[in-house]
Amino acid sequence: MRAYISQIRINLRLTMRDRTVLFFNYLFPLLFFFIFGFMMHAEQGGAIVQIVNMVLVIGILGSGFFGAGMRTVMDREANILRRFKVAPITAGPILVSQLVVGLVHYIPVTVLVLVLAHFIYGMPPLEHPWSLMTFVLIGVLAFRAMGSIIGAVANSMAESQIIIQLLYFPMLFLGGATFPIAFMPNWLQIVAQFIPSTYLSTGITAILQGHETIWNNLAPAGALILTAIVGTFLALKLFRWEKEEKMRASAKFWLIAVLAPFIGMGVFQAYSKDNVVKGKMLAREMSRSRTVLIRDARLFLGDGNVIEQGAVLIKDGKVAEIYTGTAPDAKSLKAETVDAAGKTLMPGLIDVHVHLGSPGGFYSSGTDYEAPDKAFPRELAAYLYSGVTAVKSVGDVLDEVLKVRQVEASGEKLGAELFAVGPLFTAPGGHGTEYAKNLPEVARGNFDAQFLRLPKTPQEAKKMVDELAKRHVDGIKTILEAGSPDYPFVRMDPALVRAVVEEAHALHLPVVCHTGNARDVEAAVNAGVDGIEHGSMTDAIPEALFARMKQAGITFDPTLDVVEAFGSLAQGKFDMLDRSLVQQVGPKKLLDSTKEFLQSPEGAKMRGGIGKYPVVMAICNQNLLAAMRAGVMLVTGTDSGNPTIIHGPALHRELQLWIEAGVPPAVALQAATFNGARLLRASDRMGLIKKGYQANLLLVDGNPLKDISVTERISMVMFKGERVDRSELFDQK
Amino acid sequence: MEQAIQVKGLQKSYGEVHAVRGIDFEVAPGEVFGLLGPNGAGKTTTVEILEGLRPRTSGDVKVLGCDPGVEVRALKDRIGVCLQSTNLPDKITVRESLALFASFYSRNTDIDKLIDRLQLSEKRNAYYQTLSGGQKQRVALALALVNDPQLVFLDEPTTGLDPQVRLEIHSLISELRDAKRTILITTHYIEEAERLCDRVAIVDQGKIIALGTPREIQAQTLGTSRVEIHTAQPMPAEVPNFQEAEKFVMSDDRKILNVYSARPARTLPDLVKWIDLNGIDLEDIHLKRPTLEDVFIELTGKRLRD
Repeated sequence: MRAYISQIRINLRLTMRDRTVLFFNYLFPLLFFFIFGFMMHAEQGGAIVQIVNMVLVIGILGSGFFGAGMRTVMDREANILRRFKVAPITAGPILVSQLVVGLVHYIPVTVLVLVLAHFIYGMPPLEHPWSLMTFVLIGVLAFRAMGSIIGAVANSMAESQIIIQLLYFPMLFLGGATFPIAFMPNWLQIVAQFIPSTYLSTGITAILQGHETIWNNLAPAGALILTAIVGTFLALKLFRWEKEEKMRASAKFWLIAVLAPFIGMGVFQAYSKDNVVKGKMLAREMSRSRTVLIRDARLFLGDGNVIEQGAVLIKDGKVAEIYTGTAPDAKSLKAETVDAAGKTLMPGLIDVHVHLGSPGGFYSSGTDYEAPDKAFPRELAAYLYSGVTAVKSVGDVLDEVLKVRQVEASGEKLGAELFAVGPLFTAPGGHGTEYAKNLPEVARGNFDAQFLRLPKTPQEAKKMVDELAKRHVDGIKTILEAGSPDYPFVRMDPALVRAVVEEAHALHLPVVCHTGNARDVEAAVNAGVDGIEHGSMTDAIPEALFARMKQAGITFDPTLDVVEAFGSLAQGKFDMLDRSLVQQVGPKKLLDSTKEFLQSPEGAKMRGGIGKYPVVMAICNQNLLAAMRAGVMLVTGTDSGNPTIIHGPALHRELQLWIEAGVPPAVALQAATFNGARLLRASDRMGLIKKGYQANLLLVDGNPLKDISVTERISMVMFKGERVDRSELFDQK
Repeated sequence: MEQAIQVKGLQKSYGEVHAVRGIDFEVAPGEVFGLLGPNGAGKTTTVEILEGLRPRTSGDVKVLGCDPGVEVRALKDRIGVCLQSTNLPDKITVRESLALFASFYSRNTDIDKLIDRLQLSEKRNAYYQTLSGGQKQRVALALALVNDPQLVFLDEPTTGLDPQVRLEIHSLISELRDAKRTILITTHYIEEAERLCDRVAIVDQGKIIALGTPREIQAQTLGTSRVEIHTAQPMPAEVPNFQEAEKFVMSDDRKILNVYSARPARTLPDLVKWIDLNGIDLEDIHLKRPTLEDVFIELTGKRLRD
């Protein structure tokens, strides 16, 4: 024990006298900290977590891994260890004292960097400081152990230099410390999962961001501890005192024993990709926490109010401040500036009626249709590209839509926020059941379970709602429609709708109802639903009924897009596919094959079928205007996924159709923002430009209140505080 | 009384290389014992086996009653070692290094007194890297004494030091001898062995070729002294038979003559008379008694410092 204490004391003193040690332990990390802080504008948020992580990891790699690897070899080569060999001690005090001294030098730097990050760059105080400390110290032990093994098996300085560099550089550059793993090509992201520093880096970042504690990082912490134990044990066993004692070349394989936990982790990650996903989420989080000032814009706040010249400060993903007139200096706000003179800033658009399960067109081959885990995220990316920051799926296969909702919510993939009702409540033979008709018996059963709910009794209906509530759907959708004489549907019993509504309301779930005509609307209103989808495309909805809807706060979503699309298709027109935003989001193959199909004999047959489903735009327009006059809460839905209604830009066309119908732009835009958020029961966090609200914003060139088509001239989309790189949206893997 | 060191039939091989090929000797308590031999003779290997640093191939070894191959830790605790080539961290002070090493042993001596005794008082707080070669060697010697050892190993303690420093180290070792410590010293300096050691073993190619007090070893040889004369003019080629002279060697220019004799006091007057008779000026005259070096050359046919 005396030997341990005196070794630790002397080593501490020696390191304090060594300028290179002091430089690499203290000055070097701080230099890094300030240089990168300056270069990456750490004061604007976001980057600071990355910089702190980088400094901490470089410290562990440098003084821990590199230092421990060289130290033993240097002492051995200089004949210093020889002197210790003739004294009655083991390698224990020598290695342990190095370890302790390494820790003692590392802790103050860690604390200093965290304090500086907070006071200079405004990094939020740590939520889990002890988790961070514990994790970081485990890291120091593990990487020192790896270094010690290299020191133990290398026969000369030159040899240990080579081995250390071979491992040090990948750990530095591929482990996420200097360059986020999420930005690497996919194969390299997998390679990174075999590198120990990757786990150090993701763990530190996750804990720094405050979402995780050491307990969320048990696997990486466990691997690091295992490496520390195995490494320290082997370093003691293989310890050599004299340069004349050489190791056989095969001893280098011990290195593999020490790295084995990470080879295991890598293999597991290559299969599960958990850590790859985590890396993406962490990177997303960083890009969402930057401070941005959008100034000199016209602000359409979402609730109808307009500020002709103003500015919005975005911080940590939220609207932090709204300024009328000229904003304070961006530098004093520590913000990146977006000059928006001549532009209009509004809340991100909300589309409350989409079907992600169909692409909005026809592929020439069945195999071209993507599986939901690929197609849905791509479609949600297309929405975001088009400035639509939230969509509601009103009828899609339950499991898949919930899975994708999770993927998007975590930040793993970037796309519009997804709300989903899952399956449709309808009657056997009712609208909704026609989609599976052509499927084989077995597949149909599965599809129906995911896509349809066909309750026979009110009790059964309630039970079905209960089960969906347990899956955390965002609402319920029912169907009341008898079709047309040429295209009849079995209409659901309104009593069942009523039962659905009662149960859903008890569980705080909003219910919308697809309606075919005025009679259906009335039945739905009687049943107590929260929103009417489509209304009537064939007859006028009475003013008295709209008055009741206004009274009850029931929303009205006229889905003029699908009315136009059906009308155009029946006439053999499909110029909707040639619109600029549609061309931009594609996919090109889908657009081309859809045109081709519609011109083919089968396409003609399908168009004929659509023609049997009579829709009249003039009636729809009148219903919309009547609803507006009655003061009904209007919302915008597109029914995207139907033929020629491509996911993403459809809402812009919807707005144009509303203006053509005679709705003032301000009313239409409020429907597409704040009202949509209210129907989604999310108006406490989105749909408005308001302090504390999610920074989901759309900046367009011009004034949409005068010319609605400028909503398509997108200057910037911001989602949860991140300036979306629209060009990269479709490259997400 | 038990011997401090007992070595019987010690052998050490590194693969095909036989560094030590059967060595036997004993060292009594309080004795200063020297292992003398050229580089590569096997001295250091032998000593390191005794210190417990290397395993032996075969033979019986007891150091202070311990088998160095088994009770290493206990042995190391009781001996002091001054290594042939060793180093300390650059920025450790003299006092710190002694205190550090003292902490490894169960028995300690007073470090400050030790520093004074080794004339390091002025350098007490100096960094190791600032010390001269002699000072470093004194630190090494001090390190060998921090545990007040009964037995001290000094492996080539003066190699590479200039003559002045060597003398200083010699006097320090003499002091140790006066303090009745058992010392095993290896060296390839004849004078060192002659001057410091009670007994000497001459080692060559892994074997002891002579063992005894320096005088005994000298006596084992032909025991002739050598008279060397230098003259101004060449001497006659024909040299007469001087009294007691055994043989002579003339230089090529006939100006240096070495005459070997068991009784040089008898030989010398004859030699001087002969020079005078030939009318030659005598420039210089030496009388050399036989040294260990001569013994070594005689036994091995080579010089020590090759």
